[in-house]
Amino acid sequence: MLLASTLRSTTFKLALAAIVTFGVIASAIFAYVYLFTASFVRSRSDQAIMAEYSGLLGAYERSGRRELIELIRNRLAGGSPAEHVYLLVDHASDVLAGNLDKWPSAATAAQGWTEFRAPGAPDAASQPRFRAMSATLPGGDRLLVGTDISDLDSFAAKIKAAVIAIIFLMFVVAVVASILVTQRTVGRIEEINATSRAIMQSGLDKRIPLRGSHDEWDRVAENLNLMLDRIETLMGDVKQVSDNVAHDLRTPLTRMRGRLEKAYHGGRIGENDQALIGDTIADLDAVLGMFSSITRIAHIETQVRKGAFRTVNLVEIASEVVELYDAAAERDGTDLSITGDHEVRVTGDRDLLFDAIANLVDNAIKHGRAGGKIVVACENVDGGAVIAVTDDGPGIPTCERDHVFKRFYRLEQSRYTPGNGLGLSLVAAVAHLHGARIELLDHSPGLQFKLWFSTPAS
Amino acid sequence: MTAGHRRILVVEDDPETAGQLAEQLTSSGYEVDLAASGNEALRRGASCDHAVITIDRMLPDIDGITVMRQLRDGGVAAPFLIISALGEVDDRVRGLRAGGDDYLVKPFSFVELLARLEALGRRSETIAKDTILRVGDLAIDLIARTANRRGKDIPLLPREFQLLEYLVRNEGRVVSRAMLLQHVWDLHFDPSTNIIDVYVGRVRRKVDDQQAYPLIHTVRGMGYCLRAPR
Repeated sequence: MLLASTLRSTTFKLALAAIVTFGVIASAIFAYVYLFTASFVRSRSDQAIMAEYSGLLGAYERSGRRELIELIRNRLAGGSPAEHVYLLVDHASDVLAGNLDKWPSAATAAQGWTEFRAPGAPDAASQPRFRAMSATLPGGDRLLVGTDISDLDSFAAKIKAAVIAIIFLMFVVAVVASILVTQRTVGRIEEINATSRAIMQSGLDKRIPLRGSHDEWDRVAENLNLMLDRIETLMGDVKQVSDNVAHDLRTPLTRMRGRLEKAYHGGRIGENDQALIGDTIADLDAVLGMFSSITRIAHIETQVRKGAFRTVNLVEIASEVVELYDAAAERDGTDLSITGDHEVRVTGDRDLLFDAIANLVDNAIKHGRAGGKIVVACENVDGGAVIAVTDDGPGIPTCERDHVFKRFYRLEQSRYTPGNGLGLSLVAAVAHLHGARIELLDHSPGLQFKLWFSTPAS
Repeated sequence: MTAGHRRILVVEDDPETAGQLAEQLTSSGYEVDLAASGNEALRRGASCDHAVITIDRMLPDIDGITVMRQLRDGGVAAPFLIISALGEVDDRVRGLRAGGDDYLVKPFSFVELLARLEALGRRSETIAKDTILRVGDLAIDLIARTANRRGKDIPLLPREFQLLEYLVRNEGRVVSRAMLLQHVWDLHFDPSTNIIDVYVGRVRRKVDDQQAYPLIHTVRGMGYCLRAPR
């Protein structure tokens, strides 16, 4: 199964293609080396033969046949390497001097190179091979000077065998290695596939196993697992949201239905009807408001609005928010103020930032202490900007802090204050859009929301 | 808006909504032309001089914005009120940039529509050149940015003055919270809280407390109206 999928896999096919390409190139290089070496060795031996031949020919031309015979005999008596062969015959092919028994039949040309085996032996193939220069001398005699090239042949044959062995070995090693590598790759991919199938069949709780090798496959698996975590969280959120939407919509809808039913069965009294219709419209508006908040958050989360980002002064926006909420704070006897730097530039969307800061201030006023103190502070910090909204109210229990940014989440203590539980979800969405980090801190007593903008305006 | 110029072109493709609008606008004293498509809107818009044209962004044939541009290019001077189901701010602002004069997001209350139509219709009339506006015993000085009642100064913050000025300019007409947010604060969204009410409440205390009669009135479920007793 694994082997079959290994052989089918693209990785293996690519590896094969690489092996073939590499093999052809390597073979060409080896063939060149072999041919070059062989021809180099042969040309050296040819040069030696040629030098010897020229020497003998010179002696013949200077001093005649007798001198040449003398010279050859001297050479054979010990003046020349053992593998050299010499032969001088007369026009009737009778041997005059030399260490060959008879003129080789292959050497027929007037002058030129010839290769032959030692003549006259019964088992020709095992006889030494010679390469020789032969020529017919002016007097009709024929001279042959050569050397035993059996060693050269076996040297070339050994190189050839070694080259072929290396190429074969390389090919085998490469094929085995690519099968192993591909098998490993296919194995990891199979793991991911198996997990994917398990997720499709049973649910999002499965994760791809890590091997702890911290290699690229572990990183892929880690990232896929993180993605699965995120999807699981989102799915959970969606479920939570739909549950909450159902709950929060059912309440006003039930109220409206009850009211209308009562009016339907009761008599028509102008004044009652008007109050009833007014209340129903108010409830409907609340429902519609909830819908537009949800679609607004969803729209922000699509990141479309990043296209309209400009450099804005956070202090200016925060001041406008503080000014808008000044009246509400005054009504509650709360001291709402702004501090910090005069200019804090960030890249963003003015309306959305206004909305987010307004929600934080609104929360601080609603859930803070009546007659308390709320401070909005904007500051430039190293490599970014921060805006903090601090109140001195009852705060949020630590265990609830992760939940407050969820849609429709409301603390038990504030279930009956006005609001739809979407404010902080919107803050979170706006922060995320701006690449800002939200921090929720204890300010004993009270609560501090901080938005860290890490990308300062250039 | 002059009595002879209360003709409105409503471009709306949903027949029921169009019918409701026509009925309510007629009972509010407007003459109503209906157009159910972009092409019909182009024909009717060019053929008659309207006080205001309300136009839906999503029309079956031509996009509302395109219709508006073509009418403008054809010399139609009437203000446009864009009605959109695309609730997001950038869509709204895109509508205004394209030459719309005001926008309204579906679903809207008829009162809100009426308030905006009145405001738009008034804008197309000649703009008063007075630098001091008076309503009853209230006088606001647009140059000095001050307000007083019966000669007694009312201390107002700049934004409070802007709010009062907007109410005064729309004297006798209902102004919705969304209109205040849009025109006084330049904010193109609806905060979910009653913050505008609280803000108007404070302005009202400054303007109306210990006076002979109140000027700023809450219109239940709709908004505010500044008017002097008759």
